[in-house]
Amino acid sequence: MSAVSIVNAAAAAPLQVVLPEWTAIAPVLILALTGLLLLTIDAIWPGRNGNTTFAFVSALGSLAALTVTVWYLVAGTGQVGGSITLFSEAIVVDGMALFFTAIFTSVAALVVVASHDYLAGHENAASYYSLLMFATLGMALMAVSNSLATVFVSLEMASLPSYALVGFLKKNRGSVESSLKYFLIGALSSAVFAFGISLVYAVTGSLLLSEVAAGFDDGVAGFAGVAGIGVLMIAGGFAYKTASVPFHFWAPEAYEGAPAPISAFLSSASKAAGFVVAFRVFSTSFMPLLDATPAIDWALAFAVLAVVTMVLGNFAAATQENVKRMLAYSSIGHAGYALIGLAALTAGGPHNGDVMGAAMAHLLIYGFMNTGAFLFIAMVEYWGVGRTFEDYAGLSTKAPFASLAMAVFMFSLAGLPVFGGFFSKYALFASAVSAGFWWLAAVGAITSALSLYYYSRVVKALWIEQPNGNLDAIDSKPTGLYAAVIFAAVATVLLLPGFPIALETAEAAASALFA
Amino acid sequence: MAFEYVPAIVLLPFLSFVIALFAGKYLPKGGALAGIAATAGSLLLSIWAFLTVRSQGAYQETIYTWASGFGEQPWELTFGVLIDPLSAMMLVIVTLIATLVHVFSLGYMNDEGETGLPRYYAGLGLFTASMLGFVVADNLLMAFMFFELVGLCSYLLIGFWFREDGPPSAAKKAFLVTRFGDYFFLIGVVAVFSTFGTAAFVGAESFPVLAEEAVAGDVTVNTFGFDPTTWFTIVGLLVLGGVVGKSAQFPLHTWLPDAMEGPTPVSALIHAATMVAAGVYLVARMYGFYAVSPTALAIIAFIGGFTALFAATMGVVKREIKQVLAYSTISQYGYMMLALGAGGYVAATFHLMTHAFFKALLFLGAGSVIIAMHHNENMWDMGGLKDKMPVTYWTFLAGSLALAGIFPFSGFWSKDEVLYEALIHGLGGSPLLLGAYAMGLLAVPVTAFYTFRMVYLTFHGEPRTDTARNPEPVRWNVKFPLSVLGVLAVVAGLVNMVPVQKVLGLEGIDYLHQWLDQSFDPLTAHHYAEVSPYSSGYIGGEATTVLVGAAVSLGLALAGLLLATYLYNVAEPTEHTAKLGAIKDVLYNNYYQDEFQVWIANRTQSVASVADTFDQGVIDGVVNGVSSVSLFSGSRVRRIQTGVVTNYAALLTLGLTALLLAFGLLGGWFL
Amino acid sequence: MSWIAIGALALIGVGIPIAMMVVSALLRPSVPEQGKSATYESGEIPTGTARSFKFNIQYYMVALLFVVFDIETVLVFPWAVIYNDAVSTVGLTRALGPMLLFIGILVIGLVWAWRNGAVEWIKSPRATRRKTQKQDA
Repeated sequence: MSAVSIVNAAAAAPLQVVLPEWTAIAPVLILALTGLLLLTIDAIWPGRNGNTTFAFVSALGSLAALTVTVWYLVAGTGQVGGSITLFSEAIVVDGMALFFTAIFTSVAALVVVASHDYLAGHENAASYYSLLMFATLGMALMAVSNSLATVFVSLEMASLPSYALVGFLKKNRGSVESSLKYFLIGALSSAVFAFGISLVYAVTGSLLLSEVAAGFDDGVAGFAGVAGIGVLMIAGGFAYKTASVPFHFWAPEAYEGAPAPISAFLSSASKAAGFVVAFRVFSTSFMPLLDATPAIDWALAFAVLAVVTMVLGNFAAATQENVKRMLAYSSIGHAGYALIGLAALTAGGPHNGDVMGAAMAHLLIYGFMNTGAFLFIAMVEYWGVGRTFEDYAGLSTKAPFASLAMAVFMFSLAGLPVFGGFFSKYALFASAVSAGFWWLAAVGAITSALSLYYYSRVVKALWIEQPNGNLDAIDSKPTGLYAAVIFAAVATVLLLPGFPIALETAEAAASALFA
Repeated sequence: MAFEYVPAIVLLPFLSFVIALFAGKYLPKGGALAGIAATAGSLLLSIWAFLTVRSQGAYQETIYTWASGFGEQPWELTFGVLIDPLSAMMLVIVTLIATLVHVFSLGYMNDEGETGLPRYYAGLGLFTASMLGFVVADNLLMAFMFFELVGLCSYLLIGFWFREDGPPSAAKKAFLVTRFGDYFFLIGVVAVFSTFGTAAFVGAESFPVLAEEAVAGDVTVNTFGFDPTTWFTIVGLLVLGGVVGKSAQFPLHTWLPDAMEGPTPVSALIHAATMVAAGVYLVARMYGFYAVSPTALAIIAFIGGFTALFAATMGVVKREIKQVLAYSTISQYGYMMLALGAGGYVAATFHLMTHAFFKALLFLGAGSVIIAMHHNENMWDMGGLKDKMPVTYWTFLAGSLALAGIFPFSGFWSKDEVLYEALIHGLGGSPLLLGAYAMGLLAVPVTAFYTFRMVYLTFHGEPRTDTARNPEPVRWNVKFPLSVLGVLAVVAGLVNMVPVQKVLGLEGIDYLHQWLDQSFDPLTAHHYAEVSPYSSGYIGGEATTVLVGAAVSLGLALAGLLLATYLYNVAEPTEHTAKLGAIKDVLYNNYYQDEFQVWIANRTQSVASVADTFDQGVIDGVVNGVSSVSLFSGSRVRRIQTGVVTNYAALLTLGLTALLLAFGLLGGWFL
Repeated sequence: MSWIAIGALALIGVGIPIAMMVVSALLRPSVPEQGKSATYESGEIPTGTARSFKFNIQYYMVALLFVVFDIETVLVFPWAVIYNDAVSTVGLTRALGPMLLFIGILVIGLVWAWRNGAVEWIKSPRATRRKTQKQDA
């Protein structure tokens, strides 16, 4: 029913008049070239510790990709006159792809800027930044994937550099161990995912999302079992990428063990990448299954996952002593919120676009506030004052601006009014209610209330409690980290007045998928 | 033009609050000068607004809409100003007295070397700002918010000397008792919103207008199944709860005498002239709403008349000068309530104005005496101050004559009009009002008696202590406010000489009547007269009734005065309370009102303890339970994360399998 | 019905190895010997615990590089097979260009790995020691 319109009217959008069609994936290409450029530079002058050079090139590359993406978004590439498909429809560029590419590239830029300080004195800066760029490339590819084959390959492209990045601190046991766990769970999930793809292929005879949808349009009589297991296994693959229960086990360890900028990157961008591809695959290909006989109610499955994820993530976060691990669990909880964007879909439902758009907007704001929060952790790790709530006591006396930014992130994550996170959660829950899924919204609201408890603990530690003498180590001001944290805070605050625009863009992009 | 500056009237004192709070300790006089400048500025702006109302008529503007509903509840919650004759007059009164009190405070607080002055002036500034905000409010919700703010300021200022025993507990009592009334008020506000969908005071869609139309059957509002009149009575009485608390009416009056623990200028400003007037002002503000409910009016009148008499009797035996004034205040507000309940909208407003002047004067005079007496308030320790402090004496005397209702002082005119309205409307077929009138009338001699007992004990006779023989002199900053108010106490009554007009047939000297008729259409005095359920009856003709009424009340006042003169205007007055016998104890103990309330409080303790048990056991239990269950399950959830990767893989696979099986079996995939 | 077939396949799949082990256990003579129960580790002598036993990292380096070329071959081989036909259908650029791009990307990776010492065989400590002793002597 909701196949992507195959041909885009090249003349409909003004942009295509000027540029050839393949330039639609320019953001992806820019990221790829940046990664290769980093390797080339390091290959020509190996061994030189060019942390600054590499950071500069990576930041430039991701910002260039971001600029092009935003330009396309504004110019209406892939939105006005239908989406643009390339490589025999294996790649599609539309509003949603650009929206999420904007998230990935901005998070990547923030992480790169922050990493410059974090990596000072480390060897192999080139591999770090190039892996980061390749991971971003994989995510951007996930956003434009239009075939199960590209979905799988791009997902792996995003995952493999992530494993290496998590284990980047080779001398740190936690980093290496969590990397290995991440890899093992990832391999298992990939296997499940690939198996699911093969089952779907078995039923529909195609990997292209539009053709899969066409195959399901005729019903799944006789193959319901194969199709159902296939669809749920694919859902499992996405659940792994988005760190949703029960595929979340890697997340707390990986986020905690990884270098903090990488935790920021994984919990924000990587999660969003999982969602964009899940949104696309399920809304494009699997919508017909919702009202097929027998029904393959994957939306209900996502609803179950959403509830379990929200509850488990928030409950586990409430009992953590380690701030980074608390954030890791909170990030799982937020995956549950975003899952509402899939769970509240109904066959031909009039609110589908609103629900998914609200989830997209939430992921955008989440991208900034969560990245900012992890980057604050990165700054604290950089200072080396400790990891628990007690260690954070009184940090505001030493770093007032960063602490203020952290308070903004925490309250925004909790969804308090006057911060961006409030509106995105509100829009999400409101759209879920209007789509008839009030109980999802209720669970979301209750767990948000719970989340306020542990988020405010951080603020309390920073601002109210007295320093306990471990803050004397703070003697430097990491400029890049500071800039990234402050920028993320500003973006979080600015997304408050800017939220209507973001939501409108997201809902237009999401509605295009259901058109 | 002037109306554009109306918000500044409110904001100037707020500014002085901020200045005193944050910069007060760096300023000379602890922020007093900023407060004086701000209130004086507000006074000038108020006068300007007053004159503009006179020339251009009333004015209403919505300044800020801070919440608006949608769908089926298109309510807007707004802040706005309503400047009509009533509020303009009130603005002038409040700003004038606030300015004078600020000046007086220089003498009472600064010269006495009090500490914590910035806190004091910050409190005064915030109070003035809140009170002015309440006065200009153009809707009930905004009025309620500022109503609560003045209550807060009252609490802060009563407890100014928080290190002593009395003030904090008096402050708490004032806060709790008024809060008790405010609960009803709050419910009333909600009821008004849910009934009419608006809380605006003025306009075609305002709730008094809608109420009137609903009673007439022209519009339908949500009355929750009641007859409109019944429901409006209920809502009106709910709002009246706040009024009774704030204006210290029976049975919620007990906080006001205790509130005298606060500094005397505070008593003058808050607990005599302005904040306690807020309740009366509120009823006057939404008088159109009460006018459609005869029952509510009758209750208001009865409460007022009873309070007037009841409080006056208690004032008779008090030893402390401020206590006498406190009971007198309660009693006088009873008169205003009586007037409102008796359909005398103008009379109530009139008495509100004159009382504000002469009672502020009396409190400031008492303050002056207290300075002189080194903060000894016991009248039995005074005496003979007449010659030592002439300015205080003469102004105090003017205020006392006004309070006692002696012709031609201001109090006479206003009190007479109050009683006159009650009388003619009572004669016009409302015998209940006659009862209220009788109580009001009985209170007249008692008032005159306790007033002059106070004057004689304080100023006349021989000094009874060394302090009274050598009182501390007061400076200009005390004498100046006294003089201003003294003049006003004498002449303020001339703005509304209705009896003279009626008897002599002179037209046009009832300025206040004309003034209050200049408002927006449904807020005018004659409209209220039309709506009110009363008709007038006379003894003989109108002029005769006026004469008879005035003669009776004046005669009674003189009788009370003479009795006081006979008993206390002697060189060595003695306590005559023994002659009252058993009544003495009753009066000393304020009819055991406090004891009664404590008794009630103790009786309700079992209820309260049940509620407490419920609260601690069930509510807190649930809350604590939720949090401990959360934390417990959180720690359980933590344990799933064992750290062993094979466990993760197993759980992951199990989870996926469970999901597959559940959906497969329920979805019937394998059939 | 088709599910029964799958179930049967699973049963047979599990059954055959079990049957083979059972049969061999029944038939063979039992000669316990330590070498038999030792883990086979690609010719390395398994000593100590699995944790303390370390491969030289360069095994992995070489293995990774091998995978790079392996994948390359997998793609290049079919490409080479149809190359002539492809040139005649879509032209030289579109037939050759993508493969050059692909190989180019791999080359960048290879050169980077090479320059960063992935193919440098680390000297064994003993060999280094011997060398220095020789020089000293």
